[in-house]
Amino acid sequence: MQGNADRGGRRAGGMRAAALVAATLAAGFASAEAVVAQEARTGGRLTVAADTEPRNLNPAIVASNGVFFVASKVVEPLAEMDYASGLRGVLATGWEGSADGHTITFHLREGVTWSDGTPFTSADVAFSAMQVWKPLQNLGRTIFADLEAVETPDARTAVFRFARPTPLQLIENALPVVSAVLPRHLYEGTDIAKNPLNTAPVGTGPFLFAEHRPGEFYRLARNPAYRDAGKPYLDEIVYRVLPDAASKAAALETGDIQLTAFSAVPLTDLARLDAIDGISVIPGGYEGITYHITLEINHRRAELANPLVRQALAHAIDRNFIVDVIFLGYATASTGPVPSTARDFYTADVPTYPFDPERAERLLDEAGYPRGADGTRFALRLRPAPWFQMTRATGDYVRQALQKVGIAVELVTADSGAHTAAVYTDHDFDLAIGSPVWRNDPAISTTILFQGGLPAGVPFSNQYGYDDPAMNALIAAAAAELDRDKRIALYREFQRKAETDLPIIHLVDFTFITVARDEVKGVANNPRWATSSWADTWIAR
Amino acid sequence: MTALARGAAAAGVGVLALGIALALAAPWLAPGDPLDMVGRPLLAPLAEARFPLGTDQRGRDVLAGLLHGARVSLAVGAAAAAAAIGAGILAGTVAGFLGGRADDALMRLTEAAQTIPTFLFALALVSVLGATATNVVVAIALSSWPPTARLVRAEVMRVRTLDYVDAARLAGRAPLAIAFLEVLPGALAPVVALVGITVGEAILVESALAFLGLGDPNLQSWGRMVASGRANLRVMPSLVVLPGIAIALAVLAASLTGDALARRLGGRR
Repeated sequence: MQGNADRGGRRAGGMRAAALVAATLAAGFASAEAVVAQEARTGGRLTVAADTEPRNLNPAIVASNGVFFVASKVVEPLAEMDYASGLRGVLATGWEGSADGHTITFHLREGVTWSDGTPFTSADVAFSAMQVWKPLQNLGRTIFADLEAVETPDARTAVFRFARPTPLQLIENALPVVSAVLPRHLYEGTDIAKNPLNTAPVGTGPFLFAEHRPGEFYRLARNPAYRDAGKPYLDEIVYRVLPDAASKAAALETGDIQLTAFSAVPLTDLARLDAIDGISVIPGGYEGITYHITLEINHRRAELANPLVRQALAHAIDRNFIVDVIFLGYATASTGPVPSTARDFYTADVPTYPFDPERAERLLDEAGYPRGADGTRFALRLRPAPWFQMTRATGDYVRQALQKVGIAVELVTADSGAHTAAVYTDHDFDLAIGSPVWRNDPAISTTILFQGGLPAGVPFSNQYGYDDPAMNALIAAAAAELDRDKRIALYREFQRKAETDLPIIHLVDFTFITVARDEVKGVANNPRWATSSWADTWIAR
Repeated sequence: MTALARGAAAAGVGVLALGIALALAAPWLAPGDPLDMVGRPLLAPLAEARFPLGTDQRGRDVLAGLLHGARVSLAVGAAAAAAAIGAGILAGTVAGFLGGRADDALMRLTEAAQTIPTFLFALALVSVLGATATNVVVAIALSSWPPTARLVRAEVMRVRTLDYVDAARLAGRAPLAIAFLEVLPGALAPVVALVGITVGEAILVESALAFLGLGDPNLQSWGRMVASGRANLRVMPSLVVLPGIAIALAVLAASLTGDALARRLGGRR
């Protein structure tokens, strides 16, 4: 009974949040400025929970959500994701690519200054791209690998020159994450990776980095010189370091913090928190930050190299169980390597493997692995990735699900380092539960899960022993395709191929959840809200 | 013995015996894999006849988990304690009986082992060796033998000066035979009290390792149940409270039983 009541409450919360997102969207379409100007109140401090305490707060070097959560309020990218237009210029106002794919020209915003008063120019962009993103950044090293030079014909124009044709669509999709611009005048001539500003960033954003007390808090203060008159609305943002999930929930209830992002409170607490007056569970605002839970398969095992066995695995696992019981409804069953939130690339027109244990058993019989005298067909070792509670829980579930169809599974656990080495370097696994990230373009971190011939030791890549010439050709063709529509068509073909061969099995897609007190306004109003600038976030009286 | 002590002893022995009986009967009382997700998640205790103690957040039967968890906790506890006490007796007897250099070497080793906190040592060992039941037993045994060794050594040093030991020596018996057949039995009584404490501590360390996710992931155990139930503490406290009570009862019962045995033996001497 209690379970039912909980579910009811949760659904209501989801709908309320959906309504909020819809309202925000509608406001965006009508006139965001007008609506916000009527209501928004200036002033006040927003206190949020910080999960991690990154040492390096430079998003141009470490493009990760933990860094963006704090630093994206200080250091701005060229463009940011947007519900209405898809992509909205921030430091850039427009961009165009040449027909041959060798150049992309960015037009930069007028009247932007660094928080120390120095004007922002194309030289800052050129410096950031060539000296930081390309050589130092975790994602930029791949995306800008072919970037030869950035020319600056004037202070407002930056021309990126690529050695090989580079699809504009790929760069556009990557911009929100890879294009944080650093102040050249403070970084040039220093050891960039060790510059003290990496722990106290300086940028063009709506907030200034004020203070970090390790183990206690980060504090950001309003940037009085911010270019958008009247913004930001908040005087201060304080990130209180609260590593324990239960203490975050308690702090929300007492009002010590007003917001937790990135699913910081336990999923099981959400229904309870949502039922409290003055606290809402907000599932939107993370569409641009989607994770998958995958079953990674080592094709070096003879049984697992057989496509019938892999199909049987897919049929033996109930994705809805993972969604309902492990994610308590806050996830969706995957149909393939691209999540349904990816508007351009996603296609549902792929082979699917609905939950059907009898069919799984028939496929295993057909593959030549009948149940033995003890009811077991063969035994596998399963390594669940240790970093999320959900990857561990999915491991527990998959073990039980596969034992039901006669596959004995032994769980093997290890810490993050040992797990990564075992799966991606030593290939010492039969099955693993992984959590790859969807980064808004298949070329950034998705096709690498299917591409053959990669050296051992590349984490979160195809270390599965799957190497299919047709798949490799498809990935190469898509990577070199400049035409937007043809590129999308190729990636849809890629999804069909992935789900036909089934080298790994995408189980569910999930994003994160924000829990906030109701006085916090302007929440979840873009697809990367938690990692955006918060210039239009405010606190009602 | 006061009436209270006698009552406590009887309760300890009774609870331990009941625990062992339930653990042995688990495959019949709760057939199947206790890790199977058999029911609706988060059923409250007594809500459904099939699951008298309810189900956890993934629909696993809590009663089956407690019964099968008893097997793991008691087996690991007993095996680790047996190994630890065996090693302790061996080291203590050799050191105490031979004295001299052997004593010095073994006691320095014991002291070195004692300076390492038991739990941290077990934690480090399991992290390195991998989380399997055997490794947990080895880790606990390796970290809990020193107290037994020191106690046995002291007793052996006392007993070896007694007249009957000299008599055995004069009768020409081999030193090892004297050490283990003549001296050791006379020195064992206080060790019995330590058995209870060691078993209790082993159960506690096993639970703590499982709580931290370093137990064998293929076995249901009480510590693991507390850990996985913790996320639901505010929603369904029974998921944490029930295995928590089981751990507390097992540790207490083992300790009381050890005490009772020691009193019995001590009284006879």
